[in-house]
Amino acid sequence: MPPINFNDIEVLLPLIILVIWACLLLLVDLFIPKKHKWLTALLAAFGLALTLGFTLSQLGSESNGFCATGKPSICMVVLDGFSVLVNALLLLTGLLGVALAYGYLKRMGIERGEYYTLMLFSISGMMLMAQASDLIIVFLALELLSLPLYVLSAFARSNSDSQEAGLKYFLLGAFSSGFILYGIALVYGATGSTSLSQIFEIASVGTSSLLLTIGAALILVGLGFKVAAVPFHMWTPDVYQGAPTPVTAFMTAGAKIAGFAALLRVFGSAFPNLSEDITPILWALSAATMIVGNLLAIAQTNIKRMLAYSSIAHTGYILMAFVPYGNPEVAPVSIAAGLFYLFAYTITNFGAWGVVIALEQKESKGLQISDYAGLRRKYPVLAGAMTVFMFSLIGFPPTLGMVGKFYLFRAVLSGGYTGLAIIGVVTSLVSAFYYLRVVVNMYMFAGEPKTDNEFWLRFTIAGAALVTVVFSLVPQGLFAWASRAVLKLF
Amino acid sequence: MTILFLIIAIVILASAVMVVTTRNLVHAALWLIVSLFGVAVLFAMLNAGFLAVVQVVVYIGAIAILFIFAVMLTRREMRGHGKPLNNNWWISALLSLLTFGGLAMLLSNWDGFSQTPADFPSDFDGVAELGNALIDPNQFVLPFEVASILLVAALVGAVYIASNRK
Amino acid sequence: MIPLSWYLILSAALFSIGLFGVMARRNAIAILLGIELMFNAVNINLVAFWRYLDPTIMNGQVFAIIVFAVAAAEVAVGLALVISVYRNRKTVVVDDLDLLKW
Repeated sequence: MPPINFNDIEVLLPLIILVIWACLLLLVDLFIPKKHKWLTALLAAFGLALTLGFTLSQLGSESNGFCATGKPSICMVVLDGFSVLVNALLLLTGLLGVALAYGYLKRMGIERGEYYTLMLFSISGMMLMAQASDLIIVFLALELLSLPLYVLSAFARSNSDSQEAGLKYFLLGAFSSGFILYGIALVYGATGSTSLSQIFEIASVGTSSLLLTIGAALILVGLGFKVAAVPFHMWTPDVYQGAPTPVTAFMTAGAKIAGFAALLRVFGSAFPNLSEDITPILWALSAATMIVGNLLAIAQTNIKRMLAYSSIAHTGYILMAFVPYGNPEVAPVSIAAGLFYLFAYTITNFGAWGVVIALEQKESKGLQISDYAGLRRKYPVLAGAMTVFMFSLIGFPPTLGMVGKFYLFRAVLSGGYTGLAIIGVVTSLVSAFYYLRVVVNMYMFAGEPKTDNEFWLRFTIAGAALVTVVFSLVPQGLFAWASRAVLKLF
Repeated sequence: MTILFLIIAIVILASAVMVVTTRNLVHAALWLIVSLFGVAVLFAMLNAGFLAVVQVVVYIGAIAILFIFAVMLTRREMRGHGKPLNNNWWISALLSLLTFGGLAMLLSNWDGFSQTPADFPSDFDGVAELGNALIDPNQFVLPFEVASILLVAALVGAVYIASNRK
Repeated sequence: MIPLSWYLILSAALFSIGLFGVMARRNAIAILLGIELMFNAVNINLVAFWRYLDPTIMNGQVFAIIVFAVAAAEVAVGLALVISVYRNRKTVVVDDLDLLKW
């Protein structure tokens, strides 16, 4: 038995630290008295920050880990610019998630240390997804990120909505796992391997096998369920509405990033040869998701449900970046645009959900859009921040959302998918209707909104609003970073 | 061999149909055990003896029993008040048949479809090989470890969700 | 010897029956039973491919073991959720879980 190579550990170092931290947190939390649960939150945030530091120290290094003897191309995990970027984004998501959760959990009376442990486990699953280069790891990462999310959705144990959301999310998730597994089994049968690089090599010799294509299509269906693309979105709004709000915020951002990473790893590195068959499916998924998500959002009166449909719609925009994945000339720019959009969406999304949390009262009160009436009079800063987030979600200047959409549409146009870009622009215009309704409610109507005054919540909202505006004025550096990170993959 | 396979296949599929149609959930869980046992026999026929044992111990011994517990704990459903299937069950049946037809048709067009099994090299010990593969850093130690983390996460989550409220 | 095709067809049939169970059943536990059937179909596929392609490469068997572990983890969490929902609502029939509707 060969000893473990130190290099293998190094490739996964941030992930290993995070997992160990999560296990320790579980133990330490036992000794933290109920009154001082802020300490658990602080420790969780510290662990995330520490992991972020280690992740950033990996910048620029490229390596493989857990490779087969004598075959350096067959590995379990990779470390490259893309994985570092995505991991950093995921850890940022985690930090924002902790910041939003702390006050909320206390207010709703569900303050438990397990929340943070499960969240750290979920993030480690997401990070593993970004580094996976074997279908076994892809599947395990998917389960590791999903299982804690099912539990977190049901975290409010005495709240029926939350329980129901957890159960529905679980049933849907397990069902989609079945599809992904069956697809992986067929791919394994067609190529005799589960390693993504080896599947690519075998698939690029000779004609593409039918079995491989069905396998890839089944994996796509399963991932479609996970990221809530449109024909597979049935229960997603229920889940996003019923789950505790900070969990929803974390899910909408984190699961999207991880799903995008999974698509890129699986389809970008193993199946570029199947793009002739897969690209039209992706096109249709993306278009349907944008149209249905935005149209159904119009009818909503509950802000959580509206933002849930908005999140589905944004899945469509992000999928758009993936449509030209088989074209090596357009793909790097397009994927970089997708990453940039994910960053923009994450920041904006957390800000918007932060405002929702600030207004939410016990027993799901304060969640109607009409509850936002009069916000400007009473809390002008909060109303201003919410306006920024709504503008960013529509894609109005001067916000990150506008810049993100600009890069995205430009990449899609240069790939020759004019129809898709037109659908994107039109649905964005449609979306203005329901986002602006919130703004109109805040500024035009009179009301007596109640908000929660919690420091970290305010801090997150203000920070997100600031970043949304400031980075939209100087986005080039970030986009260049994303482009450089992605370029080496193709 | 062929006759054994056919008998097992019929047992698996018939009990699987019972699992998805029986009104009484305890019976459904028991039919699941029959089906799982058939799969275990298939594993043995495929020379994967270890997996056959694990199938019996983990799937039948733990998972199926857990199901029966859950059914008992949600007792009111056990007698199955109302219909076991929803009103659109025929759409689901149609979709499943289509899935099966589609998969069967696509599979039969695959060129490796009627392959016969590869020969085992002499002195090949499947169980030792599997054990080595699972803990070899150059093979599958990482999935093995991640699976254990997954089990810890699931344990924490399940205990939290199912424990009694104070 | 039995050709590979028989195993694959059996697995496809089992998968489809599981699929039917998930889509047609009303009780959450019954849906979960359907999902278990789907997972077993996958395992038949994996082991059959392992045996027929190259039994010296253990990918198929290792994957099957991982599927066991994942199935166990999922069932634990899933049944915990079922029990918790039952405590709150006194039902686990999915059609009755309609607090969240547009």
